[in-house]
Amino acid sequence: MTAAAELIGVTQRFGSFTAVDEIDLAVPSGKLTTLLGPSGCGKTTTLRMIAGYSAPTSGTIRIAGIDSTRTPPEKRNLGMVFQSYALFPHMTVADNVGYGLKLRKVPSAERRLRVMETLELVGLAHLADRKPKKLSGGQQQRVALARAIAIRPKLLLLDEPLSNLDARLRVQMRAELRRIQAETKLTVILVTHDQDEALEMSDAMVIMNEGRIVQQGSPQQVFPRPADRFVAEFLGYENFLTAADGTPLTIRPEHLHIVEKGHGLDATVVDVAFRGVDLLVSLDVVDPSGATVRLLADVRSGATLTPGSGVTVIAPDDHLVSLPR
Amino acid sequence: MKRPITAALAVIGYVIMIVPIIFVVATAFTAGSTLRFPPEGISLRWFDEALGYEPFIEAAISSLGLAVLATALALLVGVPVTLAIHRGKLPGKGLVEGLFLSPLIVPELVVGLALYQQLMIGMDLDNFSTLLVGHTALMLPYAVRVTGASLALADPALEEAARGLGASPLRAFFTVTLPVLRPGIFSAGLLSMVTSVNNVPLSLLLQGRDFRTLPVTMLDYVQQSYDPMVAAASTLILAATVVIAVIAERTVGFAKIFGGINQ
Ligand SMILES: Nc1ncnc2c1ncn2[C@@H]1O[C@H](COP(=O)(O)OP(=O)(O)OP(=O)(O)O)[C@@H](O)[C@H]1O
Ligand SMILES: [Mg+2]
Repeated sequence: MTAAAELIGVTQRFGSFTAVDEIDLAVPSGKLTTLLGPSGCGKTTTLRMIAGYSAPTSGTIRIAGIDSTRTPPEKRNLGMVFQSYALFPHMTVADNVGYGLKLRKVPSAERRLRVMETLELVGLAHLADRKPKKLSGGQQQRVALARAIAIRPKLLLLDEPLSNLDARLRVQMRAELRRIQAETKLTVILVTHDQDEALEMSDAMVIMNEGRIVQQGSPQQVFPRPADRFVAEFLGYENFLTAADGTPLTIRPEHLHIVEKGHGLDATVVDVAFRGVDLLVSLDVVDPSGATVRLLADVRSGATLTPGSGVTVIAPDDHLVSLPR
Repeated sequence: MKRPITAALAVIGYVIMIVPIIFVVATAFTAGSTLRFPPEGISLRWFDEALGYEPFIEAAISSLGLAVLATALALLVGVPVTLAIHRGKLPGKGLVEGLFLSPLIVPELVVGLALYQQLMIGMDLDNFSTLLVGHTALMLPYAVRVTGASLALADPALEEAARGLGASPLRAFFTVTLPVLRPGIFSAGLLSMVTSVNNVPLSLLLQGRDFRTLPVTMLDYVQQSYDPMVAAASTLILAATVVIAVIAERTVGFAKIFGGINQ
């Protein structure tokens, strides 16, 4: 498979601070790749280098196989959706979407057609003559998306496109973005700090921390096998314990079982929180290395657990993930 | 404890500013022939007189011409400088900005005297050109601050978005940045025109036989005759100023403009 974009040893320094540290990345063509990581890990900086808004301190960026490290943004033909949307306030929705086409000297009749086509794709054809200020956040977001798609970009770059939307709309838009990606077959790079969003939407996910890529792969590959403690914590693995031979282990709260007596780890119930469908139980557990650790178990309600009672915790081998020491 | 004192000070402040204005406006409508309060009867005769008094009309035209030219020059210099200060990688940004804002601080009499010595005496410039230079310098802080305020409010990603869609830097500037700044530039223009028309110290110092602004002409007039025509002329200027201020407020907002200046 050809890479739509390739980053080779790309570094970005601001003064003595290294925001992006020697990253290597191949973005698969026609797929949705997410850049996932906590605030400040360098996601936006990476996206901005791909878009051409800032040149890397060192390294090479290839777009569609061509070295574009120093190409100005207007020559890259990439579509970018900014976190603030950056809609032109003095233009109508249609003029915003048609801006890139006008610059490409697309004749006005064809332009109008393509603008309407694109607005239909995002479900906003009826608002073509409005000014951006008169639109809701979700609608503005779609206009920004339409404006980026209309130029038929080589890559569609989305910087936290959903983070300004309310929770429900955000979940709806995930599916909507997937649909648009599938219909247009565009190569998409989506930046997010929301692991659920990344897991749900990605064909490939790239997890970053402190300017480096710590793990990449499909959600199916990454989720069950976090590469280190950082990724594990980021993906919601809350329990960390140590094997008899000293190997650090992790397991998700929903994979722990609690039984009254059995073959497992001795534990004392510390607290029980009722959460409707399930119970969140914190326990002091004696792990295989003999140390006592505080673990969280997410179990079905119905279990009769009281703080202070002694129980056995079972951590199934197939769900235990070993981490590097 | 603090609140009532602040409130009282505010009230005193407003009274000190507004009461004299009320006196002037009231006397302008008098039917009598002396500048006296309370006015004797009500009429528009002094407005009639003021609008028919040739030196005032001439001076008003001179003032307006000067204001328009000075404002245009100030914007022509101020807007690009502001862009350079805010967006460019200019070394010594603070110094440049300080330089362009300094007319707000340096007493106008000092500026006037300096211009008088250097330009009128030193370079033998006529008094209109000298006044134009002086007023332009005086207007620059408005151009720099108001444009700066609207630039600070504008999303810097707008320009980047335009670039990403295929616009060269110049194209992005003319199709996106400038239109977004237009309301700010418009109010800066209105405000600096008002400031120019109402300016006394510079205009007084740099006046000449051939070119006099309205306030200076009015001052001359008051020194000779003390009738309500000056009050009527002042009232007209006040009305025009209020209208312009309202327009400026509607397009950008004083809070933003002066928030910028007091920063
Ligand atoms: N122009 C700049 N000058 C100096 N430091 C910068 C600049 N841009 C980014 N940084 C720093 O680089 C680091 C990475 O920033 P970046 O914006 O890429 O983070 P991010 O992963 O997008 O975070 P977020 O999720 O908060 O948007 C941060 O510590 C940031 O403060
Ligand atoms: Mg970011």
